Formats: sequence, C-alpha cells, structure tokens
Amino acid sequence: MESSKTAFPKNNTAKLVLLALLFAAALVLAALENTLPPLPLPFPGLKLGLSNIAIMYALFFLNFKSAFALAALKSGFVFLMRGALSGAISLSGGLLSVLAMIGGLKLFKTGLSYMGLSILGAVFHNLGQLFVVGVIYGLGFMPLYLAVLLPFGAAAGILTAALLKALLPALKRAVCFINKKESGRL
Amino acid sequence: MKFCKRTDLAVIALILALAGVFYTLHSARQKETAAFAEIYYYNTLVETVALTTGEERTFSVKEAPNVLFRLYKDGAICFFSSDCPDKICVNTGLLSEVGQMAACLPNGLVLKIVSLAADELGADIAIG
Repeated sequence: MESSKTAFPKNNTAKLVLLALLFAAALVLAALENTLPPLPLPFPGLKLGLSNIAIMYALFFLNFKSAFALAALKSGFVFLMRGALSGAISLSGGLLSVLAMIGGLKLFKTGLSYMGLSILGAVFHNLGQLFVVGVIYGLGFMPLYLAVLLPFGAAAGILTAALLKALLPALKRAVCFINKKESGRL
Repeated sequence: MKFCKRTDLAVIALILALAGVFYTLHSARQKETAAFAEIYYYNTLVETVALTTGEERTFSVKEAPNVLFRLYKDGAICFFSSDCPDKICVNTGLLSEVGQMAACLPNGLVLKIVSLAADELGADIAIG
C-alpha cells in the first residue's frame, strides 16, 4: 500500500489536533447516520458504520496507533452517551475491526485494496459486536444473525470504502494544512 | 491504488460462502417445530412461554415491567412495546420460527424461539 505515512505531523500539538479532527469527523458521521431513515431490511438495527471512514483514514494514512486510539475514543463516547453495555459492544467491534484491517494489510500486503480492507473491517466490526452481545446476553451461537450480518457487512464495507475515496481529497487537504502550520510556526 | 482488486473479490466470495454455510445451519434448525419462547434478562432465563396454547395475551416480566410482550393465537410472539429509545426490539416484529430472536439491549431483554428438543436438552428449565 503506497500510503503517505510521512504526512503524520511530528509535533505533538499538531498530532493532537489531527486526531481530534478525525475523532470529531467520526462523531459527526455517526450523528449523520442516526438522522438517516432506518434501512429497509428485515433486520432492524443494522447500521452502515460511517464513522469507520475516519478510522480507516487514520489506519491507511497515519499509523496503526492512531487508528486504535480513534476506535477506543469512539467507544468511550458511546459509553458516555449510552452506557457501559453499549460501550463494551462498541469497543469490541471497533478494536476487532482495526485488528482485522491490520491483519489484512500484513497478510495480503498490497493484495487487498481499500475496498477489501474496508469489507474486512466492517465484517469483523459486526462479529466483535455480535460476540459481546452473545456473551453478555447468553445467546450462544447465532447462525441466522451470522448469515445476515456477513453479507451486510460486506455491502457496508464497499459503501464506506467508496465514501472514503470520495472524501480523501478533503481529508488530505486538512492534513496538509496542519502540517504547513506546524512547519511554519514551530 | 485501484479501488477493487481480484483478492477483494475473493474476500467477498469467501464472506458470502460463509454466510451460506451459516444459513444452511440455520435452516437445519428451523425444521424443528417452534415450541417455546424463552425470555432472558441479561444471561438469565426468566420466563419460558409455551407458544402453542392458542391463547392471545400481553404480559411483561418483573425484571423489566416497562416492556410488554404479546403472544398471538397462531403461536407468534413479539416485543409489543418498550420504553427504550431506539425501539429496535419492537421493530423486529413477530417471531415464530426456531432460531429467531429479538433483543431489547437497553433493557437487557432477549426473546428467543426454541424447539421442544432444545428445551429438553436444558432439562433444568421448568415449564409453567
């Protein structure tokens, strides 16, 4: 993957600003998603996971650590807004999703495109959430849910990858701007 | 970087194949006749409802009095109303086949359809 990892600022304050911006973007995307009408599917409660766009950006163009940080921060926000259970579900999904995308990057090197990685991330996000729900609520093995969540995760992954591609120029501009400020002033 | 590569398609194919396997597992289960609905409050079974009685009633469990369940004459059951913010449980609709479930995570409730066979396996469950 010919990512431009050097774009990540060296200065601590600039790093903080960039991560905070991405975190804010993740939250706005999540809020935006909540205002959309529910998806016309037989299974209610399925979401596209638009905030993964910010996390994917961090993973592909910054570094692994910042992607983990964003996933954990987002779960922290869910914890504050919706309680410990939702927080735990979000954390397990978020971390597993980042781990799966890193796994995909390491395993396939350049074999997978953003779309493939995004699909892996989305599917494992679902699996992580389902696992915690299954354990906490004592549901055991849920083949019907797995059969629905896997293809849905793949579809959501394709969509978020397409959106990331569309948003990339804007995100890059933001990073360049922060970098310029950093070198100009400090 | 290209948006989509051949390995991506392989990943998609693998995911769809896995989904197919899980669906087959589910339909194998589905052949069993639905006999009971189990209501769990966090990890604990709090109520077992016989589905085939032909009666129609609305009820709740004492752990979550603000959530109403409704059992229909044809043996289908659903979350009828709930005080949770998202109403995902109510929107799940009617359940009548083995393996189907609905959950109200904010209230810690799960409604699950099981067969007679599954219930006999868990022999510690008393049926009232």
